[in-house]
Amino acid sequence: MNGIQLVLLTGLAFISLYFIIRLKKRILDIVLLTGMAACAATFIIWPDLTNTIAAKFGVGRGADLVFYISILIFWFVVLKLYARIRKLEQMLTQIIREDALNKAKEPTSQSGQL
Amino acid sequence: MLSLLRETTHKKIVIVIPVYNDTQTIRQVAEGLLQQAPFQIIIVDDGSAIPVNTTLQGLPIVCLRHQVNLGQGAALQTGFAYALNLQPDIIITFDADGQHAVNDLHALIQPIIQQEAEVVLGSRFIEKYNNRIPFFRNITLKTGRFVNYLFCGILLSDAHNGLRAFSRAAIEKIVITENRMAHASEILFEISRHKLRYTEVPVTVQYTTYSRQKGQSSIDSVKVLFDLILHKLFR
Repeated sequence: MNGIQLVLLTGLAFISLYFIIRLKKRILDIVLLTGMAACAATFIIWPDLTNTIAAKFGVGRGADLVFYISILIFWFVVLKLYARIRKLEQMLTQIIREDALNKAKEPTSQSGQL
Repeated sequence: MLSLLRETTHKKIVIVIPVYNDTQTIRQVAEGLLQQAPFQIIIVDDGSAIPVNTTLQGLPIVCLRHQVNLGQGAALQTGFAYALNLQPDIIITFDADGQHAVNDLHALIQPIIQQEAEVVLGSRFIEKYNNRIPFFRNITLKTGRFVNYLFCGILLSDAHNGLRAFSRAAIEKIVITENRMAHASEILFEISRHKLRYTEVPVTVQYTTYSRQKGQSSIDSVKVLFDLILHKLFR
């Protein structure tokens, strides 16, 4: 086992531990996460496996295949995050709107009926 | 303007004006409207740096204030929510930067009074009078109308005009969720979705130095397009 494998495996272990502690009540997420972590560990320990799979997909190198899949996952995460931001923005809008409407009903010198 | 005065005695007309930092023009705009007829004016201050109600002292209007800036779409929706409590017959949206003409209001509300339409949209392209539209703004608006057509199947002569009139029934159905400028297209989606009867009337738009500084740049239209695509994706 060389240096980079040790670094990657240590990082993977910490990330997995962090998520498993956070998601302890959601069985499906833990199974999915364990599966992904096991997959990542396998490819770190036996990197040549990625070359074999890449060849089956018609991609030259294993590293290229990992890169392409990463781009897809990246866009998926961006869209998920954006959907979350929109939801938060809608909630914020609702709160600010209710605040504005409530203050208009009780006119003061700062807001409401002039 | 006597005719406009007569309409307001029979119909309850509420004007919603979204404001963001238009402290220079808002008082003039509000006074101009109140001089014509006893409208009920709702000003929605969308988180301006200096609260606009400080410049509106003494005027018989309602001022709502968003604690932070959300965007024109959000401000309009807040204004509509308040306006509906007043049980109006007609709700008008009017820009705060002084680019709309009070004289256009009479023609704007006629299709609703005559029950020919539930939504009336102002257009600066129907009759080419007094509308000296900057070159790039013209191209953007012309492109925008086709984008709107692609998204909601409504081909208007003007893609984005802040002067509109709605019947109360229409406002009860229309819900604006796009906080920023994409709300103009979202209103068209809502017209299409609820099968509301709509029409366009010619209006004048005055491009003053102030309104051009304050208004949207052509680059902003790219942001609107991006918001529209995301609106469709995340509906």
